[in-house]
Amino acid sequence: MTMEFDAVVIGAGAIGTSVAYHLAERGLKTALLEKGDIASGSSSHCDAVGLICDKQPGIDTKMGQYSIDYYEELAKKFGFDFEFERKGCLYVCETEPEFAAAEEYMKKQNADGYPLRMVENKELCEMEPHISKDIYGALYTPPSGCIAVSPYKVCFAFVEEGKKYGLESYTYCDITKINLDPKTNSVESLETNYGTIKTKRIINCAGAWAPEIGKMVGLNIPIEPRKGTNLVSEKCERLCNNKILEYGYMMSKFDGINFKRNVSPLVEEQNIAFNLEYTQANNLLVGGNRLFRGFDTRTEIETMKAICERALRFYPELADINCIRTYSGVRPFVVDHLPIVSDVDSIPGFYICAGHEGDGICFSPFTGKQMAHIVMGEDTDFDISKLDFARFGK
Amino acid sequence: MAEYFSDDMIVCRCEEVTVAEIKEAIRQGAKDVVGVKRRVRAGMGLCQGRTCEKMVQQIIAQELGAKPWEVGTSSARPPIRPIAFGDIAKGIVE
Ligand SMILES: Cc1cc2nc3c(=O)[nH]c(=O)nc-3n(C[C@H](O)[C@H](O)[C@H](O)COP(=O)(O)OP(=O)(O)OC[C@H]3O[C@@H](n4cnc5c(N)ncnc54)[C@H](O)[C@@H]3O)c2cc1C
Ligand code: FES
Repeated sequence: MTMEFDAVVIGAGAIGTSVAYHLAERGLKTALLEKGDIASGSSSHCDAVGLICDKQPGIDTKMGQYSIDYYEELAKKFGFDFEFERKGCLYVCETEPEFAAAEEYMKKQNADGYPLRMVENKELCEMEPHISKDIYGALYTPPSGCIAVSPYKVCFAFVEEGKKYGLESYTYCDITKINLDPKTNSVESLETNYGTIKTKRIINCAGAWAPEIGKMVGLNIPIEPRKGTNLVSEKCERLCNNKILEYGYMMSKFDGINFKRNVSPLVEEQNIAFNLEYTQANNLLVGGNRLFRGFDTRTEIETMKAICERALRFYPELADINCIRTYSGVRPFVVDHLPIVSDVDSIPGFYICAGHEGDGICFSPFTGKQMAHIVMGEDTDFDISKLDFARFGK
Repeated sequence: MAEYFSDDMIVCRCEEVTVAEIKEAIRQGAKDVVGVKRRVRAGMGLCQGRTCEKMVQQIIAQELGAKPWEVGTSSARPPIRPIAFGDIAKGIVE
């Protein structure tokens, strides 16, 4: 059987479902092909906050803010509830030097108009009564710059809402080949277990697996899987009122300064960045870390131990709460920490929309909208030249 | 077995998920236990599906005309049973 579509999106994570929705909304006859179930990749093995305060000042923050506000618009528009919630965020600073560095960062963001502010120990303890009393302070982002959603419900929502515009989704789809026109090298069709699919446009949204799809058309896409693990608590009191992250981890990664946290070798080795949030079902999510382990997403016992050790430093009461589950996922990592949202000069009709590392959920609505502009041959409402695939050289 | 499950029957007690909700998840494209879990939370509770998984499998099998063992299981992840964060930090994991 041969089917024909205006556009074919590969990968049904937060990025692919958003791209597919936006293309269908623009009137293109669109198919979404997914090798497993919808949201079976990174987008169901992650946290789900959209933040501006974990972004570099400039374009990174701007994309974040755009996406956060756009999420709110979609939450109002969609019949499908994806658990959108505005909340505050605290980047907690264990020590004075961290506080000082966070303040520098805050000043830059303030200059661009983002209302971040510092809170000192006393106010922090009032905002977060369960936090360790000796934490020096925190960088606070009000709910205007921080949201939470259910990451997999975001994917389901885009698909269900996209169906209203005629979007067709094909799950458990095995793509065996992508055919290009021998003369022009432009996109012609795909071979799948559903038959041959003719199309002039393919958008590769396969996240950490995007390089596999790239290989089918002879492209080398520099994305690597970067593992992260979370622990899920039993239903319990919301130990925190805001999304909590530790500033020291971020600081230890800054170039140029030689900052080291006062942590055990295990926490260092496991590259733990403590974070804590509550879900709408009243579980706590306790994380997290960043490791390169290929596509192995088994939870490592050492990681669990290290996360708990670090978490107890900030929230001692966690000690008596039960963990009921763990999960690990991979972030689609790109060396310059910016996603690829781009056409490909050498292959007309082939687009890449992947590599969102730790921000794919946050950037999903933004990315889908910009990608639709690119595919429609329009100007984007945002300068995204830095996200071009050509930056890696050909 | 077809009419064995009435729609308002609770399948997952921990998360209070009914037969009707599981059928809706299947309508939305869930083809296995994990797909149902992600859509309606059946199996996400304190017992992590120990109580409800068999029944969820049977409902999916019935709806899709498959065999219960063809619709998968929840992915195995530590810990095996609920365990305090404090214990994990001390290296007690099982
Ligand atoms: C522990 C952890 C915490 C995180 N926390 C956050 C957070 O708080 N906020 C945030 O914004 N981001 C967070 N992230 C990052 C986020 O999960 C990712 O950026 C995002 O899920 C990427 O979405 P995606 O659609 O690009 O990829 P995916 O969700 O992986 O989607 C790609 C899809 O492509 C499919 N696919 C692969 N190969 C093929 C093929 N050959 N044919 C068809 N389909 C294929 C896959 O099955 C998959 O479903 C976190 C990640 C981790 C691991
Ligand atoms: S009964 Fe379903 S998780 Fe416990």
